[in-house]
Amino acid sequence: MSEHSGRRTTPGRLVAIVVTLLILLSPFLWLLQMSFKSNDQILQFPPPPIFTPTLENYISLWHSAFSASFVNSLLSASLSTALALLFGVPAAYALSRWAGRGKHGLSFAILVTRMAPPIAFTIPFFLFYRWIGLLDTITGLVLVYTSFNLPLVIWMMQPFFDTVPISLEEAALVDGARTRTVFTKIVLPMVTPGIAATAILCFLYAWNDFFFALILTRTNARTAPVAVVNFMNYEGWEWGKIAAGGSLVMAPVLIFSLAVRRYLVSGLTAGAVKG
Amino acid sequence: MSQGGIDGERRRFIAFALTPSLIVLFAVAVLPAIYLVVTSLTPFQLTTPGSATDFSAPLRNYGLLPGDPRFVNSLLVQAKLSFWGVLFQVLLGMLLALLLNVQSRFVEFARTFFLIPMVLPPIVVAVIWKLIYTPDISPLNYSAQLLNFTMPALTSSVDFALTAIIIADTWEWLPFTFLMVLAALQTIPEEYSEAALVDGANKLQIFWYVTLPFITPILVISGMFRLIDSVKAFPLIFLLTGGGPGTVTEVTNYYAYLLAFDTNEIGYSSAVTVVMLLLVAGVSLGLVWMGRRREAMA
Repeated sequence: MSEHSGRRTTPGRLVAIVVTLLILLSPFLWLLQMSFKSNDQILQFPPPPIFTPTLENYISLWHSAFSASFVNSLLSASLSTALALLFGVPAAYALSRWAGRGKHGLSFAILVTRMAPPIAFTIPFFLFYRWIGLLDTITGLVLVYTSFNLPLVIWMMQPFFDTVPISLEEAALVDGARTRTVFTKIVLPMVTPGIAATAILCFLYAWNDFFFALILTRTNARTAPVAVVNFMNYEGWEWGKIAAGGSLVMAPVLIFSLAVRRYLVSGLTAGAVKG
Repeated sequence: MSQGGIDGERRRFIAFALTPSLIVLFAVAVLPAIYLVVTSLTPFQLTTPGSATDFSAPLRNYGLLPGDPRFVNSLLVQAKLSFWGVLFQVLLGMLLALLLNVQSRFVEFARTFFLIPMVLPPIVVAVIWKLIYTPDISPLNYSAQLLNFTMPALTSSVDFALTAIIIADTWEWLPFTFLMVLAALQTIPEEYSEAALVDGANKLQIFWYVTLPFITPILVISGMFRLIDSVKAFPLIFLLTGGGPGTVTEVTNYYAYLLAFDTNEIGYSSAVTVVMLLLVAGVSLGLVWMGRRREAMA
């Protein structure tokens, strides 16, 4: 067959792809292997090619304040995801079904809120939180994360609602069903995969945040990314623990990313490419 | 008529579904923006009571900006970081996309792993590069020692610090341009390159005359997306160089952060942030304008 002549996989190209992948991922793998080494092994020169992996870094992390920060991250990321979905999913449906003139402007405004550098929001949020006493609280973090996840939900869910045929809804409406019923009983079940994918992406964005957590938390609500950096400042240069902390912070991200592989592209490029 | 009833009921539902989100977006995006602009008109410092509402010289902060060498320098540093970062990301992303633009189940599976740097938490990316750039434990220094060659301390050297940031930033965001270009490559009809092949064109000519014109718009658009986001390279700078040595890697975003949360100059920092926001908004508008033109052409 001639149809894929230009794109056939040759063994040479496969080797090139694998080599490129290894080079690209080597910094990441370096962190991973370091997390299983004792501090002595880390400082050994030349680095031993084969070593007995140890879990001591992970175990000592688990018994330190790091585990509390891990829980803080989990709480703030999941609560903000739930809130953003609660507000954003109906709004995305409304935008998808609304043929009004303001629709494009609104979608654009939503995208713009995602493009602004976080510092622009941090200063007002910091001052406001300081005033009403929300600094260093999970509630404060949840509010901030909801604010930047809401546009993402609206942006990502719209195409999913667009794929639900309107004729299906019209039939139910003609039969006398209310729009609310049509939405919850007919439309929502059809977009469940989209909601799942969007939820995971929201979770990841909140989980990955460093900047807001750095400024809006101190000790009580400190999240895992900030805690990792704190090792460097307060616990000396314990490279093994730092590497293990980094590995723990990225673990949920890697697992979830694999789970939503298919939707990852549209979520990460958030409107940069259509469809 | 019942049709009107249905329409009315539908309209009410749409308003009901949309309003809470609009209120939230207004509260968390529009109000802070207004507050930011208002604060930028004051000499606000947390330690000076009454300074938050002192509008006696509203444009004072903005007047100070052009004469502030650190601010002017920070714009230059940001320009350098953005230019080289975006250039490398677009070029390498394109090369990677060309390499992986094949139909094979294995390659499709492998693609996911190429995305890892982009999905990692940015602070973990910074930690990864911290491990690589710290002389005592750096694999670069091990290799250099084996080759009897002394590695300069990358992140604390005036000459290499910004390069070190650019390398890490390129590593982190290369997958983004790769994804976008790959998506564009996959829409090129197979017949084009086949026709060129029949006409005796070699691979380089096919790339130059068939592939490149096809993907140029997406190269520009993904480059602009990266340009807008390059302002956000905070964790890398925070962890690797802290803006230093001196102000060599102090981008505007970082300078605004230091002003507000280190030296307590909240009013002035807000003015810096407003200028930065305007610049980002300008680029964003350019992007939208290009998107429109592209849609019109299609």
